[in-house]
Amino acid sequence: MARQASGDDVSELAALAREHGLTKVGERPGFGQYLRQLWSRRAFLWTMSHARSYSRNQNNYLGQLWVILSPLTLAAVYYLVFGVVLDTTRELDNFPAFLIIGIFIFLSLSAAINSGATSIINNIDLVRAISFPRAVLPISVAVSEMLTLLPAVGVMLAIVLISGEPLTWRWLLLPVALAVILVFTAGGCLMVARIVVAARDLRNLIPVGTRLLRYVSGVFFSIQAYVSGTVGTILEYQPFAVYLTLVRSCLMEEIPMTVPLWGAAVGWAVLFAVIGILVFWSAEDEYGRD
Amino acid sequence: MAATDPQNFDERDFDEVDHDLDEGLDESGEHSAPHLIGTPSVVVDDVHVKYRVFGGRRQSTAEHGRFRAMFNRSRRHVGAVTEVHAVRGVSFTAHHGESIGIVGLNGAGKSTLLRAVAGLMPVSSGDVYVAGTSALLGVNAALVRSLTGERNIMIGGLALGLTKAQVEEKFDEIVEFAGIKDFVHLPMKAYSSGMAARLRFAISTAAIPDVLMIDEALATGDAAFRARSQERIEQIRDRAGTVFLVSHSMRAIRNTCDRAIWMDQGQVIDDGPTDEVMDRYAHELKQRR
Repeated sequence: MARQASGDDVSELAALAREHGLTKVGERPGFGQYLRQLWSRRAFLWTMSHARSYSRNQNNYLGQLWVILSPLTLAAVYYLVFGVVLDTTRELDNFPAFLIIGIFIFLSLSAAINSGATSIINNIDLVRAISFPRAVLPISVAVSEMLTLLPAVGVMLAIVLISGEPLTWRWLLLPVALAVILVFTAGGCLMVARIVVAARDLRNLIPVGTRLLRYVSGVFFSIQAYVSGTVGTILEYQPFAVYLTLVRSCLMEEIPMTVPLWGAAVGWAVLFAVIGILVFWSAEDEYGRD
Repeated sequence: MAATDPQNFDERDFDEVDHDLDEGLDESGEHSAPHLIGTPSVVVDDVHVKYRVFGGRRQSTAEHGRFRAMFNRSRRHVGAVTEVHAVRGVSFTAHHGESIGIVGLNGAGKSTLLRAVAGLMPVSSGDVYVAGTSALLGVNAALVRSLTGERNIMIGGLALGLTKAQVEEKFDEIVEFAGIKDFVHLPMKAYSSGMAARLRFAISTAAIPDVLMIDEALATGDAAFRARSQERIEQIRDRAGTVFLVSHSMRAIRNTCDRAIWMDQGQVIDDGPTDEVMDRYAHELKQRR
């Protein structure tokens, strides 16, 4: 039996492979097929997400209690700084509610983007051990951030109620708003994961970007009260600000819920998700090289 | 700029080569019964693999001029990226029921070749064709270090494409096979390297793959585990699967494999029946010492 292949019979080997129905390894699947593969691994996606958000608090004594404790302490610190010391309560009736919604939603968004950026390069062991659609990793970051946010949302609702907001039918839209946010962060994570794999130095710039967004997205002040004109409109309709306002409009009487707001929220989410998955898929055969 | 030239590619570390000639599997399994060789299961066609390494640069031995030397020294801190050309034009065909040992010194490109065959590391040029599913077992065995073995079993199984029910069904068997008992509830960072390797072996072979690649996993287990993994490998071969084994243990290769590929500096030096190749390899090693 001729086992040793000489260097020049390239087509011969390919022909042999075809003759016996072997499939080519490491080839990027078609887009539709990729989505089907991704769907078939949804249990894996869920387990990864859950494990990730669970393991975060598992390495200290109070363990999962920190799911509630850390947002509470965070809210106290921000209230002290921006409510009492700096007093950015201009034009707002219920500043505590405004602030706590801003902080919790914003931190969840930025945490998702920041850790989504390193979701491939930090899991290189897994990538090099088992083959699966790599989009599972960035998407699981988005899902796990949402899972971490949910207990914080419980704390948030309690504080908003205590601060004097009435329960209205708009509260029912909160789960929808959170779902839209999840779609947006999943798309965002796919994009930044792809970018960082292509040029890993950018992973140092992505936290800088989210830091900047923290100060311009109206987390602890109302954009309308401070900026007006074109700049104000741009600041108001950039995705992070849109999602903060969206959640506030679900829970607070003084923030109006408008059609353009929902339009922008859904629009950004769809845009990010579609571009994200396309961009990520286009390099599916390259993850795991470095 | 960062490309490797073959003369300079000398990362092999002779001290680390551990050819344990005398310890190993017991004599009874001296030679596995010849298996029927079937149709091709893996075709590797002129494969090259290059990858980038961040955080360090290779030093050129001769540095001309002070400025050049200064520039090169500063390049160690900024833009410290080196491209490693680990596999340089490898071609071979493997068949159903064959088990193939891959030998060579450290840095010969053995592990990289396996990763490329498993589709876990992209090839730079050339093609790899595989019949059915493949799985790779490696020495850096933890999947997600911060999670418990329990979670890792679930994650690994699901990632391999099993359903949740299937993983749950196989759970006890996996724990039993890996022999980790209560440690299954602890994070994998608490595991000894042997335990982690065993667990990964057990997870990866839970779904019996058509092509199984083992990267020195056998070297990490104790004697009892070696015997069990040997059994599992036999099982896979009996189902007309193909097994690749990368190991520095000559005895393990001679016992398990009926064909050997000897690699050096990313190229295939020799490929043929185990005994012949290993004799030549051992001879060459003796000469180099």
